[in-house]
Parts: sequence; C-alpha cells; structure tokens
Amino acid sequence: MPTFTQDAIATKKKKQIELVGVDLYIITDKGIPQFADGEFGPFKCEFISNRGTKVWPGFVSPDLLMVNWYRCRFMATKPIKDHEVADFLVQLSKKWEWSAAQKLWNYDGEAGYSKAY
Amino acid sequence: MATHVVTMIPGEGTGPEICEAVRMVIDASGVDIKWEYEDIGLDCLEKHGTLLPEKTIQSIAKNKVALKGPTTTPIGTGHKSANVTLRKVFDLYANVRPVRLIPALKRPWDKLDIINFRENTEDSYAAIEHMVSDEVAQCLKVITWPGSYRIADFALKWARDNGRKKVYCVHKANIMKMTDGLFLEAFREAAKKYPDIETGDIIVDNCSMQLVRNPGQFDCLVLPNLYGDILTDLCAGLMGGLGFAPGANVGDNCAIFEAVHGSAPKYAGQKKVNPSAVLISGIMMLRWLGEKEAADRIEKAMYAVLEEGKTVTYDVGGTAKTDEYAKAIIDKMRKTAN
Repeated sequence: MPTFTQDAIATKKKKQIELVGVDLYIITDKGIPQFADGEFGPFKCEFISNRGTKVWPGFVSPDLLMVNWYRCRFMATKPIKDHEVADFLVQLSKKWEWSAAQKLWNYDGEAGYSKAY
Repeated sequence: MATHVVTMIPGEGTGPEICEAVRMVIDASGVDIKWEYEDIGLDCLEKHGTLLPEKTIQSIAKNKVALKGPTTTPIGTGHKSANVTLRKVFDLYANVRPVRLIPALKRPWDKLDIINFRENTEDSYAAIEHMVSDEVAQCLKVITWPGSYRIADFALKWARDNGRKKVYCVHKANIMKMTDGLFLEAFREAAKKYPDIETGDIIVDNCSMQLVRNPGQFDCLVLPNLYGDILTDLCAGLMGGLGFAPGANVGDNCAIFEAVHGSAPKYAGQKKVNPSAVLISGIMMLRWLGEKEAADRIEKAMYAVLEEGKTVTYDVGGTAKTDEYAKAIIDKMRKTAN
C-alpha cells in the first residue's frame, strides 16, 4: 500500500515552463533606481517596488516609507535563454549592488510570479 | 462650511445600506460633517476597469479621513485587493483593532479590553510571491527596521495618550530569528522612549492560547501583519463576532475607518445586517476628529438599545432591520438629550 508521501509524489504534474524575465533586488541609498531604455538588451524594466509597493512607474505617495532595497522587475522583450540572464547580471553588476535575482517563469502559459501593489 | 469633510466609501453587498444607517446616526449626533461619496470594489471594476478608481484616491488624499463599508476581494484571480491597495497607496501602516465587552452581549469573560496594533504594510503581505519551480511556491516575508519601529512607536504613543498601561509585542522570534527577531528588536528600541508603559513580549502561539483562556490579562498588543490578521479576528470572536468589531487603518497623514467583516452579498438589499461594526468604527473616527462628546453620546445610545434588546438585528436575537436599529439609536440619543 502506498504511503501518503508516495501518493503525494504521484500527483505531481509536469508543466510547460518558459523563462520570461527576472526579479532583481537592488540595494541602494540613492533613491529609486533608474535604467535607460535598451541599457540591458532584451531585458526591460517593467516596474520597481519597495516593501511590496510599486514606486515606479506611476504615483508614489510622499508619505510612503521606503527602505534601501528595491525589487526591479525586468521582463524579456523576446524569447530568452539562461545565458542571457547571466550576461544581464554581469552588465547590471557594473552599476548596481544587488542582493538576489529570481528568474520569472510562465507555467503552462500562466505567470508564476505576483504583481506589485 | 462643514467642520469636517469625510470621504464615505459605502463599499459593496450590504455595505451601502450599513453605511447609510451609520451616516444617519452620526449626522443625528449633531456633528457637522460633509460626506463625499466615492466608490470602490468589484462594481468599479465593471464600470471603471479598476477596483480602486483614481477619484476615490484623490478624495481620500484631500480629506485625509474616510469611513468605509465592506468590500469583496476576488479570490484566486489576478486582481489585487482594493483594501490592501488603499493601505499601500496611503501607507496606512497601523491597523488599530480594539475589542471590549459590550454589555448586552453575554460573554464568558469578566474583562476584555484589548487594543491590537497590527503592522499593516509588510510581512508576507508585501506581495512578493514566485513559483520557483513547478513544484514549489515561495512568498517573501519582508520585515524592515523602520516599518517595525514605527508601529511599535505608534502603539506605545497611543497607549500613553489613552491611559493604557501595558504594551506587549507578539512574535515568533524563537524560530524566525531574523524577521521576527528584527520586529522584536525594533519594539524594544522604541519602548525605551516610554518608561512609563509596561512592555514585554509573548510568542504568538502562547498568546493565542492565553487569549482564549484569559483575555483579561492583555491590554495592548503589537503584532506583525500576518499574526495580526489572525489574532485580531480571534479577538473579535472573544467579543462576540465580527458584527461588533471596528477597525482603523492609520498612517502619518491619513486614516480610514472601517468594519473588518465582509460584504455579505447574499443579504444585500434586505436591510437585515447589523451595522454596529461600521458604527463603532465611525465612533472611533469621531474621536480621531476630536468629536469625543458626540462619540460618547452615540456609543451610550447604542449600548442602551442593545441592552433593551427590543430593536436589534437578527444576529443578536432581534428582528429589526438595519435602518430600524439605527433609528432606535437616534431616538435614544434624542431622549437622553431631552
């Protein structure tokens, strides 16, 4: 008789995975990071959030508490491979200090990442 | 010109009928308020393509105070909660949730008078979630020093200003040593400014158990977002349910007062839902606006109507409609005044 663990493993479903971007966590005391159009090839900054609140583009309350840690979402403007993410990080490291990068994938065509408020 | 201008957001489901009843009571108290009605929620999504229209945001930004009815948050869709968005946009970092015994509600406690201060903007509510493989979901729990310090400072100051004696920090720093550890450290730092207030800390699981065994031992609690979300509802249960649980979301320059219950869409239009939670939130708002006398008058009349039990809603054993209950409170206020 299968165990609960074996039953659970048997329910796993493989999904079609597509790499579509990167969330990059930048540390800076100089305010909201700014990136030039085309600065990072196929990676275009879609939004920046701080403590989960979107701070670019659009309205930012002057009262908003911000810390020196920004989530910058870079979406690919064309189909990309892993090595392009590595190249992107090398380029970005020349200007910015970052704490972590999280690849963004679609699973069976659905986003596997949350939006920012 | 009115003394106060307040943004009124009736919300959805039973929200409009509840808010209308509450407006009637507040207006009858003699306070001079001009109400600016604005929309929010699923109806707005159909009408304006957004749960939270810009016009609503601008009204709150201008008036700096709002009274809000319940809204519906779509589950499992791509839409963000309008409530959470409001908190983020205005950085309403303090969710203030008082619970106390209401004389007419028979509860098994000798004493229940707790003010919960829930951090409202970070923790695992920072909306940073990823499917990091097709088998694994991950949510970042974001705790920051300034975010933790200011909620602690806010709670301690509120306690001092309102004659409270004891403020405890609720955490799980024995396991989450970095995140909850930082929250606790910031609380301890802020507490140094308030030597006249007794401060301490309690682990969240023990706090839960103590709350249901002996809630009278607690005075003020400061909690990170997730524990606060859960324990404030637990405290509402101690009080008698969400029907009487008020709340306020407060930032440095703006405050939104609201009930914490849902919009109960199945009862919409029937005028049978108890408006007390929004009314008590309105009472909190009046005190916030400096209208203490009117707040006390409404509260006293509401308690008296509940105590009599003749004109109360179905959830507390009566048959009165929402507006009939409100009119009974207004009559009681007028009789007391005469």
